[in-house]
Amino acid sequence: MSVVSIPPSAGATPPRRTPAGRIAPGRAGRPGTPPRRRRSRIVAARLGGGLAVLVPIVLISSFITYSLGALSNSDPAATILGQDAATPAAVARLNRTLGLNHPLIVQYWNWLTQAVHGNLGRSYFTQIPVAQSIAQRLPVDLSIAVLAVILAAVIGGSAGTIAAIRRGGWFDRGVTVVCSAASTLPAFVVGIILVVLFAVTAHLLPANGYVGPSTSIAQWLAHIILPSLALSLAVSADIARQLRTSLVEVLEQNYIVGARVRGLPYRRILVRHALRNAAGPALTILGNDFPLMLAGAVAAEAVFSLPGLGQLLLQSAQTRDIPVVQGLLLVVSCFVIVVNLIVNTTLNWLYRSDDGIGT
Amino acid sequence: MKRLIGPQSVLRLPSARIAIVVLLGIAVLTAFGSTLAPQNPLTINANALFQGPGAHHLLGTDYLGRDVLSRLMAGTRLSVLTALEAVGIGLVLGTGPGIATVFLGRWFDFAANRVTDALMTLPYIFFAVAVTAALGNGLVQAMVPVGILLAPFFFRITRAATLEHARAQYVEAAELMGASKLHVVRVHVLRKVLPTIAVTTASMTAAALLAVSFLTFLGIGVQPPAPTWGGVLSSDLDYLAQAPWAPFIPGALIAVTVGALNALADAFRDRRGAGTLAAQPGPIIRTHSTLEPADDDRQSQVA
Amino acid sequence: MTIDNLKSPDLAAPHPATADRPATAGRPATAPSAASTTDLLRLDDLHISVHHGAATAVRGISLGIRPGEIVGLVGESGSGKTLTCRAALGVLPDGCIIDRGSITFAGRDLTTLSRRGWEDVHGSHMGAVFQDPASYLNPSITVGHQLAEVLRVKLGLSRRAARQRSVELFTAVGLHQPEHVFHQIPAELSGGMLQRVMIAIAISCDPELLVADEATTALDVTIQAEVIELLRRLRAERGLAVLFVSHDLAVVAELCDRVVVFYAGEVVESGPAAEIIERPRHPYTQALLRVASVGDFRRRELEVISGQPPQVGEDITGCRFAARCPAAADACRSGPIAPVTVDAQHEVRCVRAQEAWAAGELAAR
Repeated sequence: MSVVSIPPSAGATPPRRTPAGRIAPGRAGRPGTPPRRRRSRIVAARLGGGLAVLVPIVLISSFITYSLGALSNSDPAATILGQDAATPAAVARLNRTLGLNHPLIVQYWNWLTQAVHGNLGRSYFTQIPVAQSIAQRLPVDLSIAVLAVILAAVIGGSAGTIAAIRRGGWFDRGVTVVCSAASTLPAFVVGIILVVLFAVTAHLLPANGYVGPSTSIAQWLAHIILPSLALSLAVSADIARQLRTSLVEVLEQNYIVGARVRGLPYRRILVRHALRNAAGPALTILGNDFPLMLAGAVAAEAVFSLPGLGQLLLQSAQTRDIPVVQGLLLVVSCFVIVVNLIVNTTLNWLYRSDDGIGT
Repeated sequence: MKRLIGPQSVLRLPSARIAIVVLLGIAVLTAFGSTLAPQNPLTINANALFQGPGAHHLLGTDYLGRDVLSRLMAGTRLSVLTALEAVGIGLVLGTGPGIATVFLGRWFDFAANRVTDALMTLPYIFFAVAVTAALGNGLVQAMVPVGILLAPFFFRITRAATLEHARAQYVEAAELMGASKLHVVRVHVLRKVLPTIAVTTASMTAAALLAVSFLTFLGIGVQPPAPTWGGVLSSDLDYLAQAPWAPFIPGALIAVTVGALNALADAFRDRRGAGTLAAQPGPIIRTHSTLEPADDDRQSQVA
Repeated sequence: MTIDNLKSPDLAAPHPATADRPATAGRPATAPSAASTTDLLRLDDLHISVHHGAATAVRGISLGIRPGEIVGLVGESGSGKTLTCRAALGVLPDGCIIDRGSITFAGRDLTTLSRRGWEDVHGSHMGAVFQDPASYLNPSITVGHQLAEVLRVKLGLSRRAARQRSVELFTAVGLHQPEHVFHQIPAELSGGMLQRVMIAIAISCDPELLVADEATTALDVTIQAEVIELLRRLRAERGLAVLFVSHDLAVVAELCDRVVVFYAGEVVESGPAAEIIERPRHPYTQALLRVASVGDFRRRELEVISGQPPQVGEDITGCRFAARCPAAADACRSGPIAPVTVDAQHEVRCVRAQEAWAAGELAAR
């Protein structure tokens, strides 16, 4: 789904590449601290710092989310009570029960503190707790999202690696062409193509529906493989392109020659020295593309008729069931935040440098 | 930062030429699509359901016997204009603060960056659907949040480009010679930053167009008989058994348009090294050399 | 594994006591005996072209290194000395091709060696250190792990044993606080420390040969002296042969047993270090000595060699130095110049080899 070819972090910070040999030998020796513990402490500090940065982000994005409800001119009490029962007195009473008589900021705070405790309110219409209906549908999206990430990493990772090793060969050129094409195809188009190919024409896989893994692992996989594939294709293309570029650059570095003259096996040099150092930008892409993958998940749900969060969102939007919409938006943006935190922590762990990675 | 090459040399690339022809065609459809359409996009013909491409219906007919070509041509305007609406919103909300933040000091920069981070965590499709839930079902409303979510991209790109140019020596020289800050921004910085903004606009238009198609595909923002690109695709999906080829036509139209915009943006980026922004979102591990002099000046400037 | 005299890995015992030994002045007492005639590494008529065969950069180099010998390659940048040692290491840059000639290492032909073969030779039998050591170490892995990795992969040591051995090796190359250094990444160490790390990695599997490509060039003079002393000690303790590449004749004169002088892709003079320093025959060597202010040519004012070396790939009939040579004659430009043996091990590629000493002497005065 990534037409947005400019990743968010690209312009986020000015090029802060610190110049060479910036840590003087004098600074290196900090004899008081045992070095091994220092490393984990650095990672922990980064993680803590990351969390500290996240708090305002969560506050701002959840406030935007919550304000949406207030922006709507709909009168929830009138909606709930229905045309006949909506006497002014009844509406006022219900508003008090719902807490809608307070100022916006107070309502927001109450909602947020409740949300932290796992209570996202109740649907205006069904009275089912929002958290419950989200929890019910989350496994669907989680299944296809996790599988899609794995597929994207495997497909994009191996295609990019082989293209970089065989630079200029037919495989490399093929990957370049396919990637350019694939990254312009939106997930809902890819999904439809896959349905036509595998379900309608070949009858190999089910075209729609969902079966939980507790019922049958094979059925579960059969139902989620096509949506995941549709979702992962564009991200795979992005990853393959990025990994190829950075791996080609890394393979030209002196430390690869250094590793060769130590007599390390080729495979080990490729994995431990080259891929490890080239993986950063591709990982960043994975993190950056994650919101787009969620959009793709909504598309996949629509194409494959999966009972996921996207369907819940569309239904609630149609009926203007504001608490459900707010809850969904909060959960989804928390997901994005968590994924970015994981990506950034991985990058820090991989590189352990002072350069501004994953700020 | 990326280097940009001039318009003349870009036109020499075949990919850029094809992209421009495609986009000109789309522009014509946007302006005169409904007039040029060979048939009425809303006319139902029960005798010609699910017809394949043929002489009478160049791209076939849909489940109500309506002419697909006419529906796509008539649907172009709404799709393209709402996409441009979103890009316009993103451009205004993003580039203004992006340029300003370099000159307004630390606190503004900090706040703007945190808001940007927060917006980045909202997936556009969820946000857009949520807004239609709050503000009412309409494509114009739905594209406002998409525009807001495009703003961070414009903001970051512009901020980085401005930062780079605002610290350039010629700007410093102009300031030393007594030029006012505003003048320097207008004359020197803006001119250098504009190409960057242009490239971003092209790729953001592609993103917005996809968003429009996707929203209309989900049925957000349009009342049923009105034709849109995504709407045509969505109705095809319900009748795959009868006409498995049908979704490929609107799908190809969307993909070709989006591809043309991306190709144009790519052509304007210097594709020579790994130096494009698209190719390099994060740091690649390079060796640091003890031979290079420690560049402390630049370090303190940027920090 | 056909290499003879394969040493047991345990031979390389650490010598912490000698780590801080002050540099002893003068030539090491244990110069290799001339009796050991079998060369460890032998290059014969080596031709290397660059830019995918577009230009020949190395034109018929022949040289040999005996076990435990330190041979210095000197010459200006672009003279082909680095390409030559890269070829010996099997890590020529992209586009560089060995056109002709052979490289033999302990009876093995290196020019036709497979990737597997190189993986066996590298590290276990041949180590390497380079200029700019920081760039040859993986910047995101601690230096200790990079050394331990080699020990575990090449010698099959356990994690714990490799760690312990790494610390011992770090001590052996004179790193202070080896336990601490173990956990540092390259960016946290100075150039001199990094070169010691590189040497520790290069000798970790106890190779017979160490190729040092401009290994001391980027270092401070005092650290340079320490590294040279370390190389000398390693030779004395482990019988390590060293191919030492440098453009600094003063350093080469101090360290090496034999010197090979490169000019524009050819060997112009080679022989025992003392002989070359005291009685250089080739006008180019004499000029280099004047520039370096070594030996009898020690002078006060700074000297430069006038003119420019020929372009890489440029074909010249006769002597490639003739254009810049103060003693050039018509005979120099008429045809190829064959190397002349002036002494037991002293070869000069000059038509006036027998008289050049005097000519150089004249030019110097």
